[in-house]
Amino acid sequence: MEFLADVFEAAFAFLRDSGGELGEVVLLTLVVAGLATAIGVAIGVPFGIWLGLGSFRGRAAIWTLVNVGMGMPPVLVGLFVLLLLWSDGPLGSLNILFTPGAMVVVQVLLAVPIATGVTAGAVASLSPDAREQLDALHLSLPRLGVVVAKEVWPGVTAAIAATFGRVVSEVGAVLIVGGNILGETRVLTTAIVQETRQARFGAAVALGVVLLIIAFSVNGTLTWLQFRGQRIG
Amino acid sequence: MAERRFEDLRWPAEDPIVDIPELSVQLGERLIVFGPNGAGKTTLLRLISAVESEGGTPYASYLPQRPYLFRGTCRANLHLGLDTEARIRAEDLAMRLGVGDRLDDQARTLSGGERMRLSMARTLAVDTALVLLDEPLAPLDLRDRETVASVIADALAGRSAIIVTHDRDTAAMLGDRMAVMIDGKIQQIGEVAEVFATPSNDSVAAIVGVSNVIDGRVIARRGALVEVEWGDHRFFALGDHQAGTKVKVLFGGEAVGVHNRPMGESSPRNLFPGVVTEIRETGRLAEIVIDCGSTVVALITPGSLDALDLAPGSEVHVSVKATAARAVAVGEAE
Repeated sequence: MEFLADVFEAAFAFLRDSGGELGEVVLLTLVVAGLATAIGVAIGVPFGIWLGLGSFRGRAAIWTLVNVGMGMPPVLVGLFVLLLLWSDGPLGSLNILFTPGAMVVVQVLLAVPIATGVTAGAVASLSPDAREQLDALHLSLPRLGVVVAKEVWPGVTAAIAATFGRVVSEVGAVLIVGGNILGETRVLTTAIVQETRQARFGAAVALGVVLLIIAFSVNGTLTWLQFRGQRIG
Repeated sequence: MAERRFEDLRWPAEDPIVDIPELSVQLGERLIVFGPNGAGKTTLLRLISAVESEGGTPYASYLPQRPYLFRGTCRANLHLGLDTEARIRAEDLAMRLGVGDRLDDQARTLSGGERMRLSMARTLAVDTALVLLDEPLAPLDLRDRETVASVIADALAGRSAIIVTHDRDTAAMLGDRMAVMIDGKIQQIGEVAEVFATPSNDSVAAIVGVSNVIDGRVIARRGALVEVEWGDHRFFALGDHQAGTKVKVLFGGEAVGVHNRPMGESSPRNLFPGVVTEIRETGRLAEIVIDCGSTVVALITPGSLDALDLAPGSEVHVSVKATAARAVAVGEAE
């Protein structure tokens, strides 16, 4: 028990004493996860609506790929992007390896299948009556997207929450392509790994608490939006 | 466009639910597709809607059997997919269909009948040459049906419509011509009254019954009855319509009595002389087609047929109990 008490005391001390360094890590975490979620949702939600509504050849195959993507091990995706962005790799000329840009790229790859899969699942559960009505309305593609997104609004907020949860908590891929460079590519998850490896458990716990607070705030907001949408419905 | 002609309406390719080589609807005509549940009527409308959507506009405006309203207000649903002019028409139609005061309410709070009427307003407001309606009066009670039917008829003026129903009243109120659909195929097509009075075969007769539909105008209300001007005759039927209302009067062939001499004072209110033009012995009953100025079909037993000694050309007297005949309005009172 004394050990745990020491750890928590150290955690408080870390939060009290850490100044700009923690702020930078939190900021970068929010920027990278926020951007990756925004891009992932911007691609994945429309794609998911298309996949959920469609009846075309190859739909099952695409759906399978999305499901595989949802469960893809982040370290594998990280390794794949590392190879692409390596100086001798096909995209080496971009010169973004070990920068936040590379971290956003890798997290978008992880985010898109989640946003797509959760949205498509919600859209696929639309009643046959709703689908027939959509067919009968002959809406323009953007209008159709908006109507469907509003109709499955709880599903869309679930997709955003799941996407953000995936990228903000992910460590393997960002570690590989970001490198956990202090002041440049260190985010909360990679910092926790770093502190834990150096047996600075207090700092690790403190960073974990900050991560939890972020996760709670974002998901709390999304849940509120979800219920608000349902009330309107 | 004189007529809209559809060919090879067949789906699916193997073991089709719908298999109609050709179906035409004239400009300004309301064509009823009448048939039992499972005949393939809804599939037919979907097929036609899909054909009309090929190559973009102009497509047919289509009201599904169970119209769906999306999250949001009734007004948002009413406006969905409509341009500014169509929105104005839709709000006007919503008003006339009795849901104009619900436009700011959430769509999910509407009853089944109100949903149908709101969706109807949107469907009719779309400016297409062809309108497809699937059981448009089904969720409404009889009194509302007449109002809604007259709004539909008015909104469809000059446009063509294909209206699917399994309900005789709907067919009589809304139809110009009627196609009887059984097991995916059109069995008979013709004027509504003609199809009701003279089904072309046993299976059509089993579906539509042998029924009479006569056109007329209400002269006066008399208690539970209305007095309808029908050619040179006066016809009494159940109804409570105002004088001047255009109506169709529906009664079954079994409600028609056939007599070989004039009846004295008797309970049936409707008594007309006529001449037998045709006798059809189909199945267990005989259908007697009688010209009373216009055609009435009576359904009698072979025993009565023998007793009356009827043949084409026989002069007879026809009776119809007023309580077995029902008037439905087909337009506003003038």
